[in-house]
Amino acid sequence: MLCQNCQKNEAKMHMKRIINGSATEVHLCSDCARSLGYGDSFGSFGLGFSDLFSDLLGRSEKTLSGSSTLRCSLCGKSFSDIAESGRVGCAECYVTFYDKLLPTLRKIHGKTTHQGKIPENFSETVQAPQIDVNDLKEQLKLAVEREDFELAAQLRDEINALLGGAK
Amino acid sequence: MGAKWYLGTGAQNDVIISTSVHLVRNLREFPFPQMLSLQDKLKVNSIIKDAASSLGDYNFNYLEMKMLSQYEVVSLAERHLISPEFASSRDGRALLITDDEAVSVMLNEEDHIRFQVMYAAFSLDEAYKTANEIDNALSQKLNFAFDERIGYLTQDPTIIGTGMKASVVLHLPGLASLMQIPKLISTVQKLGLTLRGSYGEGAAAKGDLFRLSNSITLGISEKAAIENLKSIALQIAAQERSAREEILKSNATEDKIFRAYGTLKYARLIDTDELMELMSLVRLGAVKGLINIDTAKIEGMMINMQPATISLSVDRPLDRNGRDMLRAKRVRELLG
Ligand SMILES: [Zn+2]
Ligand SMILES: [Zn+2]
Repeated sequence: MLCQNCQKNEAKMHMKRIINGSATEVHLCSDCARSLGYGDSFGSFGLGFSDLFSDLLGRSEKTLSGSSTLRCSLCGKSFSDIAESGRVGCAECYVTFYDKLLPTLRKIHGKTTHQGKIPENFSETVQAPQIDVNDLKEQLKLAVEREDFELAAQLRDEINALLGGAK
Repeated sequence: MGAKWYLGTGAQNDVIISTSVHLVRNLREFPFPQMLSLQDKLKVNSIIKDAASSLGDYNFNYLEMKMLSQYEVVSLAERHLISPEFASSRDGRALLITDDEAVSVMLNEEDHIRFQVMYAAFSLDEAYKTANEIDNALSQKLNFAFDERIGYLTQDPTIIGTGMKASVVLHLPGLASLMQIPKLISTVQKLGLTLRGSYGEGAAAKGDLFRLSNSITLGISEKAAIENLKSIALQIAAQERSAREEILKSNATEDKIFRAYGTLKYARLIDTDELMELMSLVRLGAVKGLINIDTAKIEGMMINMQPATISLSVDRPLDRNGRDMLRAKRVRELLG
């Protein structure tokens, strides 16, 4: 889309303005946006790497042809949809297209293995969602109150195994 | 509204103006925002809003973007509280923001959650600590999209892994005047960092303000990325100090500083570009002890004199001449 002001450059900024009570869309190139007083705010916060990603993916897609019919089960995107837009549709896409995305991740970051933090609730919700530790603790408390020490010992072992396994 | 985050001062403040840490997170149960219907976006907003309201230490204001006026939205972008992308389309988007504006959370930008913590001066450890606390507290309430192999899953794969961008804003009038910026940009790139204009791009960076941030997020821990950024920022700050010594050997620089100060004190019309250029010189003069003015006041002016922010201060849209006139008046008052 061309800039509405100069009709020459590609419009980079798209905004809704209220003019005389009705909403109007404004499309401006960065030069005109700046000269109209908006330019100063553009270009610092945006992480702005998607063009690079689309480039990288576009290239790797050409070398990986043939299986473009596979679609993500959650959002329905195919790998070529992702490559064209430079946009991954959802978290599940990363699982579905893991092998195809990996070379791109390597090109961007140089590495492919996460080294950072893990969400605090991750092991509970993903690895052991069926058994609730708090539930077992409650049973343990009741068992101790009833002086059923055999059951209590058994419950204690189960709790320790769960907590230990989650660490 | 009380004191803002930028009113603080601190270590390395002669060169390093501010610090911010951004974390990007998504909810596991929903596709990324671009794939969501308006209704689902509103659902995502309310889930995150509820989770945030239970964080006792932070009092968030919740703003639906489409309820704000044009200049309110642009002003938020000018103050780096939201991204230009976030300002460009407002349906289904919302912002959580603390009174001091130190913590802002964009909901349904390119990811469900993009939040930033801002501190004055050089405070990477503090900023990360706060961001991490908020992240941990939110993760008690929300299931974040995460994969053990490749970390936090984001719409944009260039931030996958830690989902963290940490950055510092540097004031580099010395290196800029010695034409060292292009070289610096390519050097830091090799070190896994990005240097770009904080207002405006590349060599045309307004006010000689540059943002240095980590560009790699996968295969590196948050701590390692912060340490790397910290050490490069300190090296650049040291280079900037020698560059300042160099340019201040000539009395032409001192002359420029005082001319800038004079213009700011007496001008009747000032546009944003001129303001930023002159403020850069005055800030240099202030940290060198040539002009007696608090640098926090200068930072405040650089933020609050941007076009939409100045309109916001009188709560009505101003035309260019109106803004330039009001800006000049405010600056005269502030400089006494
Ligand atoms: Zn134009
Ligand atoms: Zn998907």
